[in-house]
Amino acid sequence: MLTVNNLTKVFNPGTINEKKALDRVQLHLDPGDFVTVIGSNGAGKSTLMNAIAGTFLPDQGQIILNDKDVTKLPSFKRAELISRVFQDPMSGTASSMTIEENLIMALKRGEPRRLRWALRSKERQFFREELEKLGLGLEGRLTTKVRLLSGGQRQALTLLMATLKKPQLLLLDEHTAALDPKTAEKVVDLTCSVTKKSHLTTLMITHNLEQALAVGNRTIMMHDGKIILDLKGAERANMSMNRLLEMFEKASGVHMNNDRMILAGTY
Amino acid sequence: MFSPKIIMGTFEQGLMYAIMVLGVYLTFRILDYADLTVEGSFTLGGATAAILIIGGTNPWLATATAFAAGCVAGFFTGFLHTHFKISPLLTGILTMTALYSVNLRIMGRANVSLLKARTIFTDIKNLPGMQTIGVLLLSLLTIIILGSLLYLFLKTELGLAMRATGDNELMIRSLGVNTDGMKLLGLALSNGLVALSGSFIAQNQQFADAGMGIGMIVAGLASLIIGEVIFGTPNLGRALFAVICGGIIYRFIIAIALQLGLAPTDLKMITALIVIIALAAPNFKVKISALSSAGRGKETHYANSK
Repeated sequence: MLTVNNLTKVFNPGTINEKKALDRVQLHLDPGDFVTVIGSNGAGKSTLMNAIAGTFLPDQGQIILNDKDVTKLPSFKRAELISRVFQDPMSGTASSMTIEENLIMALKRGEPRRLRWALRSKERQFFREELEKLGLGLEGRLTTKVRLLSGGQRQALTLLMATLKKPQLLLLDEHTAALDPKTAEKVVDLTCSVTKKSHLTTLMITHNLEQALAVGNRTIMMHDGKIILDLKGAERANMSMNRLLEMFEKASGVHMNNDRMILAGTY
Repeated sequence: MFSPKIIMGTFEQGLMYAIMVLGVYLTFRILDYADLTVEGSFTLGGATAAILIIGGTNPWLATATAFAAGCVAGFFTGFLHTHFKISPLLTGILTMTALYSVNLRIMGRANVSLLKARTIFTDIKNLPGMQTIGVLLLSLLTIIILGSLLYLFLKTELGLAMRATGDNELMIRSLGVNTDGMKLLGLALSNGLVALSGSFIAQNQQFADAGMGIGMIVAGLASLIIGEVIFGTPNLGRALFAVICGGIIYRFIIAIALQLGLAPTDLKMITALIVIIALAAPNFKVKISALSSAGRGKETHYANSK
C-alpha cells in the first residue's frame, strides 16, 4: 500500500539551525491499516506527513504508493491518491464558498477541472444524503457559506470532503486538536466509522495518548526524526498509557512531559 | 445642471469602464491578487486597437486583438509570480512599467487620433435607427454578455477551482488543482477584459494616449468598493451586478465633480480620496461604536468586540 523507504529530510543544512527532521525513516502500511502517530513536538510527525503529501521534496529516500513511486510528484498531482485533513478547521475549506461548492470540489479531487457546469441536482441529492450522516443538520444548508459554520462543523465537513471520493491514503494531522472535547470526540467517532466503512488506509497524528491507543490498529512513536516504536496486535492491545510513556522515555532517553502528552488533545 | 446628452455620455462611458472593473474584480476579489498591470494593459488595449484601425484593420477584429494583447500582458504578470516567485504587487508594477514602453512602441508616438476612422461605434451608428442610441446599446449589450459569461464561468468546475485558489490555496492544491495555472488563467482573463475596456474607450473618445491608463487601478478599486458597499455581495450574481453598477456610479461621481467646477486634473485626487474614505470607514465604525459603548460596562464591550 504505502511504503516509505529510507526517507531523510534536513532543514537549513549547513547552518547553525540545521535540523534533521526525518532520519532514514522506514514505514510500511498494509491496505486498511489505521496507524496513529505519536511523539513530542519536533519529532518529525508532521514532516513525515508533509513529505508523503508532497509539500516538499525529501533529500533522500522513496515514497511508494500503490506500487507507484510518487517521491518527485508535486502535491497537486498526488491528490488523486491522497487526501488530507489539517489541524486548523479553517484550512480545509474555502470559507467564501458555499457548502455544496466545497463538496463538489472535493468530489472532483485529482480530476482535471473542465469548463463544465459544476453542480447538478443529482450531486446535490448525494451531498444531502452524505451531510445527513454527519448528524449536524447541514443537509438543509447546502448554499450556506462555509464561513458561517463553527469550527467543529467545518472540521466534520472537511473530513467528509476528504473521504467523499475514496482516497488510497487518508492523512489526518491532529485534526481534532483545535476542537472542544465534545466536538473532538464526535469527529473522532466520525473518523472511525468512515475509515471502517470505506476500508481506508489511514495515518493519524495525535497528541492524545489515550486516543492513540484506542483508535486504529497500529501505533508508531517518533523521536528525532526516527520511528522508535511500532506497536501492533496483542502487544498494542495490552498496552497502557503509562507503560507507553515509560517506553517512550526509555527509548528516547528523554523525560516526557506527561501531563502535556495526555492532556494535549484537549488544549 | 445635467443635460441629457451629458447623462447619456456618462452612462456610456460608465458601461465601458465597467468592463475594466470586472477585470479588477477577477484579480482583486476572486484571485486575491493585487494586480497593478491594469495601468498598462488598459493603455495596451487602446493603443493596439487604435493602431490597427489606423492601419485599416476591421475595427471588430482590432477590438478582439486588443483583448488578446491584454491576455498576454496578464499572463506575463502571472508568469513572473508563478515561475520566479516575485511578489504579486511587484509583478504588476514591473509589467505596468514595461508596458509603458511597449505601448509607445506600438503607437510610435504619444497619441493616435481616430477622428474620421471607422470604429465599432461608427459601424453601430450607421445601422438604421441607431444614430443616437447605438453607442449606449452596444456598451450595454457588451457588459451584459461579459457579466453573464463571467458568472457562468465562475460556476463551472474550472471557475470554482479559480475561486478556491483565491480563497484557500493550500486546500485546493490538496484537492489536485494546479493553482499556478489558475492564477495565470485568471490574470490573463482579467487583463484581457481591462484591455478590451481600453479599446472601447479609445474608440469612443476617438484617440488613444500613452497616459490613458494612469490611475486606472485606483479608479477600478473605487468602482469596486462603491458597488459592493451600495449593493452588497451576498452571492456571486449580486457581487458581479454590484461591481458593474459601481463602475457606472463612479463615472457619475466624476461627472458631478466636473460639473461642480473641479479641473479634470484634480480627478485622480478625488478618486484616491474615495478609496481612502471607503477603506478607512470600517475603522471609524469600530472606533465610534467603541466610544459609544464605553460607558455601558463590560458586557456590552464584550458583545461589541466579538
